[in-house]
Amino acid sequence: MRRFDLFVFAFAIAILSSPVLSDLIISKLDRRIDLTTQIVRATTSLKVENTGSDLVSEVLLTIPDNQANHLAYLKATLNEGKGKSKASASVSLPVEVYHPKDAPPSLTFYSISLPKGLAKGDSLNLVVLAVYTHILEPFPQKISQADIQLLLFQDSAHYLSPYPVKAQTLTVKLPDARTESYTKLENTKLQGSELKYGPYENLPPFSYLPVVVHFENNQPFAVAKELVREIEISHWGNVQITEHYSLVHGGAQSKGEFSRLDYQSRPYVRGASAFRRLVAKLPPRAHSVYYRDEIGNISTSSLWGDSKKTELEIEPRYPMFGGWKTEFTIGYGLPLKDFLFGLDGKRFLNITFGSPMNELVVNTLFVKVVLPEGSKEILASVPFPVKQWQEIKVSHLDVAGRPVVVLEKSNVVPEHNEYFQVYYKFCSLSMFREPLMLVSGFFLLFVAYIIYMRADLSISKSSASYLAKLQWEEVQATVQQLHKIVSRCLSAHDKLEASLPDLSRTGDVQACKATRKSVDSLLKELSKELKPLVAFLQSSPQASQIFPKVEELVAKERDLQERLVAKHTTVVDCYEKKLGGREIENRIASQQQKITALRQEIDDLMEFIDEI
Amino acid sequence: MASKSISSPVPDAWYPTLSLFTLTIGLALTAFFFIYEATTSRKTRSLAQELITAAVASVFLGFGSLFLLLASGVYV
Repeated sequence: MRRFDLFVFAFAIAILSSPVLSDLIISKLDRRIDLTTQIVRATTSLKVENTGSDLVSEVLLTIPDNQANHLAYLKATLNEGKGKSKASASVSLPVEVYHPKDAPPSLTFYSISLPKGLAKGDSLNLVVLAVYTHILEPFPQKISQADIQLLLFQDSAHYLSPYPVKAQTLTVKLPDARTESYTKLENTKLQGSELKYGPYENLPPFSYLPVVVHFENNQPFAVAKELVREIEISHWGNVQITEHYSLVHGGAQSKGEFSRLDYQSRPYVRGASAFRRLVAKLPPRAHSVYYRDEIGNISTSSLWGDSKKTELEIEPRYPMFGGWKTEFTIGYGLPLKDFLFGLDGKRFLNITFGSPMNELVVNTLFVKVVLPEGSKEILASVPFPVKQWQEIKVSHLDVAGRPVVVLEKSNVVPEHNEYFQVYYKFCSLSMFREPLMLVSGFFLLFVAYIIYMRADLSISKSSASYLAKLQWEEVQATVQQLHKIVSRCLSAHDKLEASLPDLSRTGDVQACKATRKSVDSLLKELSKELKPLVAFLQSSPQASQIFPKVEELVAKERDLQERLVAKHTTVVDCYEKKLGGREIENRIASQQQKITALRQEIDDLMEFIDEI
Repeated sequence: MASKSISSPVPDAWYPTLSLFTLTIGLALTAFFFIYEATTSRKTRSLAQELITAAVASVFLGFGSLFLLLASGVYV
């Protein structure tokens, strides 16, 4: 109780020394303190009235240092409407730490800036939400497995304010469990799980009346000592979130031995203070969700979802008792289009800041936003103060690495789950870096193979077998060329043949003659090209085996050529003499037979040569 | 202040199909490339044809493997 004496002393000094800060009075004040979870939320609705003659533009709040040290979140909203309107109709006001000149010790001042000054006689309604962490003191500090967890909470029954308060009440909401003891003052009532102090009327500034509540609370005291949230953007359609938790049960320390048998048989009696599962509320359309701890995934988890949310329930390997620790990782993918937006040539990520776990306190939170490689002009905009710096992360298919924005914040509560933005500039063409890298990788493989096939890796350049191989390659190349030329000759033959049915259909002798002329010149050229190849094969010793076949082919081809030309001449002549169709057929019948036979033989030879 | 949401150039649902097709085409071209290399002799091979086949095959293989990565959940 020494601490309270100190406070009373401090406030006595404060009352004596503090000047009248302004002529504000609080005409009506309601305080609700929610103690049902490990996070203490104090909602204060105040009606502030200006009794002085000056315009007032700011309202001061005071929080004793022992509470201010645990303050995680402070938000003041202005309630415009009469009565208790919902939070949606209210405006959030800027709150700053304020240092008055002769500040009383052990008090922290916060100043709320009003959007417009409060004139004489005017009043306004403010709602202040203060969220505290680690403020509930376990008492006793160490409990065994079967014990329940008892907590101590200390506050003042009178609202600590630099202004006089006309009327005030305090309601403390306790969990639905036993209340061990509480400070009994006049006007104190315990109704079910609600403890009421007040109403108190006409109290001077800095009134302080300590109260202590000692109560049972077995809610999960899940505290993440450190949480690293990595948000990785891929412009190929995904936002990948990976969260590394290092979790501890922040309640009363567990003492004595742990019996798994006792816990298993009666978990709610022999393990009341432990928690066995955690629920994370993920955004809708989350996919590829995983949960694993350091040595893999053999723990239990379940997932269900609808169009508004996805819920992931995870169970650590063991029930968590006071002071016990666990480390695990969860990860999930989110569709890009829900979180990435474009504005004036810039892109921005719009995503929530805090952890998706229900009622989790995070001592140190690192949010790392990994932007795609090639992002520029990076700017993070967070609705509350954070420490931030930039890093580089090298990931899949990176050259220079990806820029990472790191945001660090300590003492994070679910109220910090607000949207924040990271703006950056990105050229759409940079997206094609990754595929181009893959493409060039494959291309290099091909080029390496081409070089390998062209490289001459033989050691002895003068050995007989090497020379023979070279010669044989030359012969092969020549034969291939020859094959190509002969097949061109054959297609020329086909063209010549095809002109005959055309002639019989149209009777256009001139066109037919023109075809003949072009084919003739083509054939002449081809035979000229053929000559050196045949000569080479004749002289090459390596080709001695195949040369007879080649010679035969060339001879037959010439024969066929002559016969075709002769046939063509005959038919054209007959047409010019206007002979009947039957007459023509009779004249060429014998030639036609030989042509077909020759063609067949040439085809066979070509096939043989092609196989060389 | 009109911000519009940004999505991927290709819908996510297409990735498996796209990777199947592009990889099939890429592998077929690769096969053609190696058959060509094996059946022609050093004298008759044309460098231009080799390079063109290799380039087209590597474009298909490159995009195919990218889509395969994306389809299997490795968002690069």
